Amino acid sequence: MTHEVLIIGGGLLGCAAAWHLARAGLAPRLIEARGINAGASGQNAGSLHFQIERRFLEPGASGQGADIVRLNRLAIEEWAGLEEQLSRPLDIHMHGGLMLAESEADLALLASKVARENELGLPTQLLSGAEARDLVPRLAPHVCGAAWLAREGHANPRILADAFAHAARASGAVIETDSRLLDLHRDGHGWQATIEQAGQISTARARHVILATGHWTARIAARMGLNIPLYLAPLMMSVTDRTAPFLPYLIQHVGKRLSMKQTDDGNMVIGGGWASAPQRMADGMPDLDAPPHLVPDNLRANLAVAASVLPCLRGRSLIRSWTGMTCISADQLPVVGQVPAAPGLYIAAGGSMFTLGPLLARMLARSIIERAMPEEIALFSAARFAHLNAFVVPS
Amino acid sequence: MIDIAIIGGGPAGQAAARQTLGAGLSTTMIDEQARPGGQILRQPPAAFAVKGWMAGRLYRPLRRLLAQTEADIRLDWRGGTSVAGIERIEDHFRLTLSGAHGGTLLARRVLIAAGCYDMPVAMPGWTLPGVMSAGAVQTLLKSQQVVAGQPIVLLGSHPLLLVLATQLLDAGAEVAAVLMPQTYGRMARAVLPYLAGAIFTPGPLIAAGAAMARLRRAGVPMMMGARPIGFTGDGRLEAVDYAWRGQVQRIAAQAAAVSYGFLPQSDLPRQIGAAVRWARPAGGWETVCDGAMRSSIPGLYVAGETTGVAGADAAMAEGEIAGIAMALDAGVRPPSGMARAQARRARLQPFIDLLRAAADPGEVWPQATPETLLCRCEDISVAQVEATMAQLSPMADASAVKHRCRIGMGLCQGRSCEHALVRRIAAARGCDPDAVTPFRMRFPARPIPIDEIIG
Amino acid sequence: MSRIADGVTRPAPITVEIDGAMVPAHPGETLAAVMIAAGAYRMRDDRSGAPRGLLCNMGTCSECFVWIAMDGAWRRRRACLTLVSEGLCIATQEGQP
Repeated sequence: MTHEVLIIGGGLLGCAAAWHLARAGLAPRLIEARGINAGASGQNAGSLHFQIERRFLEPGASGQGADIVRLNRLAIEEWAGLEEQLSRPLDIHMHGGLMLAESEADLALLASKVARENELGLPTQLLSGAEARDLVPRLAPHVCGAAWLAREGHANPRILADAFAHAARASGAVIETDSRLLDLHRDGHGWQATIEQAGQISTARARHVILATGHWTARIAARMGLNIPLYLAPLMMSVTDRTAPFLPYLIQHVGKRLSMKQTDDGNMVIGGGWASAPQRMADGMPDLDAPPHLVPDNLRANLAVAASVLPCLRGRSLIRSWTGMTCISADQLPVVGQVPAAPGLYIAAGGSMFTLGPLLARMLARSIIERAMPEEIALFSAARFAHLNAFVVPS
Repeated sequence: MIDIAIIGGGPAGQAAARQTLGAGLSTTMIDEQARPGGQILRQPPAAFAVKGWMAGRLYRPLRRLLAQTEADIRLDWRGGTSVAGIERIEDHFRLTLSGAHGGTLLARRVLIAAGCYDMPVAMPGWTLPGVMSAGAVQTLLKSQQVVAGQPIVLLGSHPLLLVLATQLLDAGAEVAAVLMPQTYGRMARAVLPYLAGAIFTPGPLIAAGAAMARLRRAGVPMMMGARPIGFTGDGRLEAVDYAWRGQVQRIAAQAAAVSYGFLPQSDLPRQIGAAVRWARPAGGWETVCDGAMRSSIPGLYVAGETTGVAGADAAMAEGEIAGIAMALDAGVRPPSGMARAQARRARLQPFIDLLRAAADPGEVWPQATPETLLCRCEDISVAQVEATMAQLSPMADASAVKHRCRIGMGLCQGRSCEHALVRRIAAARGCDPDAVTPFRMRFPARPIPIDEIIG
Repeated sequence: MSRIADGVTRPAPITVEIDGAMVPAHPGETLAAVMIAAGAYRMRDDRSGAPRGLLCNMGTCSECFVWIAMDGAWRRRRACLTLVSEGLCIATQEGQP
């Protein structure tokens, strides 16, 4: 059987792409090895961060911050319309976000960041410590400033992919869970996939294939002989007991790793890019299927950063920590679109894939529907790494 | 780095410590209670003097072991401390502790002898203050010397209720009734196949007979075949409803003690990835082990109720086996007695099987209504869980349901509701509960105050 | 009233404060036992505002989480594992530091 589009992976990106393609009448088929939303899409902390992130201000990062702002501005509009488009509540809150400064050095970094963002059309504002405390009275007295962006926020990562999958099915997509990709190779002008479901092995042909496979993407591509520079980022998140609502905003930190928000249910979710440790296979390589181990020192440090700016956290209890794996690209920017060495094969991975996922899924779908890469994501094309496949004969 | 960390100060942990200390291995014992003893011998506060405390003949070996444990100055006892995390790092283990002795502990070998807890059974009104597990009522009594309330109704399928009723009577409490849903005939049929074997350990059977006679003399209605329906009250328990000979009856109560069986404490074995299997008949997850109590994780041992609920005598035997095995595996001069302890454990099995059969909630589960809360921490009702399950693929595991409706996402990490969710998924799928993937047990196994973590 | 008197010798009583009320207790008792002995069965409220009380009395279920005043701040602890001491002050609803 030949499909117009076969999507591998039932996370946020895959399900959202399935929805866009189905609405365009392409009746995509999506296969997911486990359950919908079982990977990073459901394990991340749900931040909608549109300011230039701390990681882009680190030594070694250069122009990426500016590039990502262009994408973030589009993502803001994407998120703002999602609940209406999907006709259901999704716990999306875009009440604003604060990136905090605790020192003069932090403050200087914030000021230059805000100036740069404003030049790029992102309306961040520099607030004094007092102004930040007007917004969040429980911020520590030593917080000396913040960059405020009115449309940052957070969403519930546990329900979003489901909503896309539901809408996609209603529009004619076929979505199969517990359905594992065993093999994928070029076949004439299209692709042939070998799929295992409930012990049954079948093959499927498709003109276009989307690898919406998160941190597995590089390894699946490697099996086909393709080099995609995506590197494992095992992370950890923590959640406290519920408390009465007091924090409607996303909190980040310009000088330290921190993301923090309060969910609809009242729990505080704390993360910000602290590493966990992948489990290893017999050969020493990271096990991509097993949850990474917590790193206790990182947990302690993460909570210490959080409680430093929000001292009331000291009165809360840690009820759950978890780990998940994502991946970042060689230049920290997403890698999106058709892989030049493998016509008809599309990917999207490599950083901020919750915040950017709904937008990039729409762009991927457009690439297939319009047979051309949308101009908006040209900067993020997989073509920028085409040189890595100069000596590759794709199989 | 210590040689041996023992999680749990009950009979299993104590018996293991006798062996490891005797073999010269440095041994630390961690327990959430201030004093050793476990739930079976939950001790009164050290500053109390209680005449004739747990004086019964059946408790004698347990008391002797406890006295030896408390007198052993080689044991590093860390009471008032919860184990929140367990990880294997290369050739040893790291425990993350919270409470009186918080911090981390590195150990070459770990024994999890963390006991069990009363199976929480969802039924209408079960969240009213005053409705407690039988274990709660019993430990208030034997440790704190406090009667949980009176009049008190005891209900459920587990014969432990008989023992509890006599203990309450001894304390002068007003026991309103003991309601057991199985009929005499049903219970007799269930235990008959095991009776012959259990005759070699007659102590508990004799005690059960004596308890029933005692209740009769005290005029306490002991109603077999009375099926509990639910609890009512305005802000706290006021009455228990039950069905008796086709009629709904109501009995006034300030407190209720519920016992349908026990679930092994399985957070820590599951957190570290040890193999577990569905426990029968009551449910929950028991940790798989070999004949020397070795779990599937090298260096990790399990004993007592962690391996399947079997009572204090079995726990003592298993603890001894585990202690001997740890000394053997550590390569120190092996203490003798492995075969003897294993034989002692084996002799107990017929009575354990009999008790399991007698207590089996089987077809006598109380019925939850759609409004009944299944998840007590996040307040998720049966109806919400069923609606969520209906939206998911039949193959969806427990975590998929959790992520969508928050069942099991609260302070207890699913200890109260997970078993019920697994049963529901298994029933919907028409499969064995063993085939359902349960929640992933996360760090910390108990809530930890954030100020304690960051110091 | 529900403390067993016969055959039990307890240290001299102390006083603890529960939701503003002064309640007698004996050193070494758990907070859960003190509350139940005082007839204070409600230990927290659920999300609908309905009262909840002790369920397992062994640190497993977390139904008995109460707020304890410690060093000028409120800290959340399990009542069944908390030993009382003179001057202990607790609240069954979240207090503000």
